[in-house]
Amino acid sequence: MEYLKTGKIKREEPHHEAAISKQTGFPSPATHYLEPSIDLNKELTQHKDATFYVRVSGNAWSQFSMRHKDVLIIDRALIPKVGNLVLVVQEGSFKVIRIPVTSSGGSFVVWGIITYIIHCTS
Amino acid sequence: MIAMVDCNSFYASCEQVFRPDLWGKPVVVLSNNDGCVIAANKEAKEMAHIPMFEPMFKIKDQLIKNKVTFFSSNYTLYGEMSQRVMNILETFSPDVEVYSIDEAFIDVSGIKHVSLKAYGTVIKDKIVTYTGIPVGVGIAPTKVLAKLANKISKKVAKFDHVCVIDTDEKRIKALKWAQTKDVWGLGKKHQTRLKNIGVFTAYEFTQLPLSWVRKEMTVVGERLWRELRGESCIEFRTMPKTKKAIGTAKSFGKKLEDLERIEEACAYYISEVAEVLRAQKSCATYIQVFVTTSHFSDNDKQHSDSCIVTLPVPTNNTFVLTQQARKALQRIYKPGYRYKKVGVNVTGLMPQEYVQGNLFENLKLHDKRLMNVIDQLNHKFGKATVGSALVGTRVEEWELVKKDRSKRYTTQWRELLELKNK
Repeated sequence: MEYLKTGKIKREEPHHEAAISKQTGFPSPATHYLEPSIDLNKELTQHKDATFYVRVSGNAWSQFSMRHKDVLIIDRALIPKVGNLVLVVQEGSFKVIRIPVTSSGGSFVVWGIITYIIHCTS
Repeated sequence: MIAMVDCNSFYASCEQVFRPDLWGKPVVVLSNNDGCVIAANKEAKEMAHIPMFEPMFKIKDQLIKNKVTFFSSNYTLYGEMSQRVMNILETFSPDVEVYSIDEAFIDVSGIKHVSLKAYGTVIKDKIVTYTGIPVGVGIAPTKVLAKLANKISKKVAKFDHVCVIDTDEKRIKALKWAQTKDVWGLGKKHQTRLKNIGVFTAYEFTQLPLSWVRKEMTVVGERLWRELRGESCIEFRTMPKTKKAIGTAKSFGKKLEDLERIEEACAYYISEVAEVLRAQKSCATYIQVFVTTSHFSDNDKQHSDSCIVTLPVPTNNTFVLTQQARKALQRIYKPGYRYKKVGVNVTGLMPQEYVQGNLFENLKLHDKRLMNVIDQLNHKFGKATVGSALVGTRVEEWELVKKDRSKRYTTQWRELLELKNK
């Protein structure tokens, strides 16, 4: 029954918190220069709702600097341009091509533009 | 004007985005526990005549024979893909009413600079480009007509998934095309009744006198009648409705006899339900628990029962709810049966700030903070990281079978789509 005890009503402790530095001594010289940390989601993706991540398995695409276990960032919203690496679907399977297509390998459907290759070095 | 955007066989489409080998091939998605078919794409519907909601074991051979690919439901993936679609819709109109996981109404009244047909086409193209999910768009002055336009957009090839009803002439043509079963919200019972008086099309329905409709089909029928005639009466709702009842009941992975195990499942469902309650800031007044054996099994003795408990004080506290549900379960559980399912429902929901205390019960103020911490932990570290001890640690012994579930491509770093180059 401890909550129902009558008597003195305990006032909530006031807690004011400074939104910036908690240093108590010398004021931070960076105070007016603070910026949010780098956010890769913001830097590496342009269209959040059109972005997908896929993982490469095997070394067959090493000519595109893609190695086993690399992760590709794919943006489906972009329109393919000359020089782009593109993930395409040909005869029901995924392929990577560089635009313009040199070999006449038949028709394909663009799945998305590969904007970044994330490669783990260790 | 209202646009109704509806994803084409959404669950199957989500699966196909990541499986180009299945493009143009029949795909079905099974319910939780792989019990029955809940979604099938166009190809599957056409070639195999798969009856929806049919138990899987009855049609499995048929599916295999027709080379239909089936997936266990992957709601994590569908939910995430749905969110993408809805986000994209928000770029087209400030007013988006998410009607279900794969449909939304958007208010396009402000669109004056381009034709609505062109606008609808842009919506459709953007969604399929961004997400890979094909959609149909129906645009009309009322919700019921927009829904009908959507249906026509998919069924009549020349519209190519975008249909606009913006003149009386087009409206009447659409109504004459539509059977009563094509009208959104017109139930089986009413369809039969209308058929009995010789009404087959939506157009014929709108020609009935209003007095008859009101008398025979109540205000619901009247609303449809008015909406089909172009008079908007179903309001646009951009805020989600707070739920009036929340429940969950899923079949076990295998049949359970043991009370202890069923209690664990029950406690697990309670924690899910309580979380939803807290998210919408409601408290429940009643809690219903039910158990049932499998009525598909002829060899098993059958038993099913349910019990409703009135809570001493309306609450959304997981522990109080778990305790009460356990008591209810013990009352309806009978030993010696092989149970297939336990379910819980909470009803009598009220906003948490309106809860009245009870002279004989403590109002436990600290509990709210405890629940907050639990919710935060589970949000940060994953579902069911902390909870009632009654849930136990043997979830996999009764949890649903998800044998053919695809990867959670968009939410789990370890389950990304793998590109294999042959």
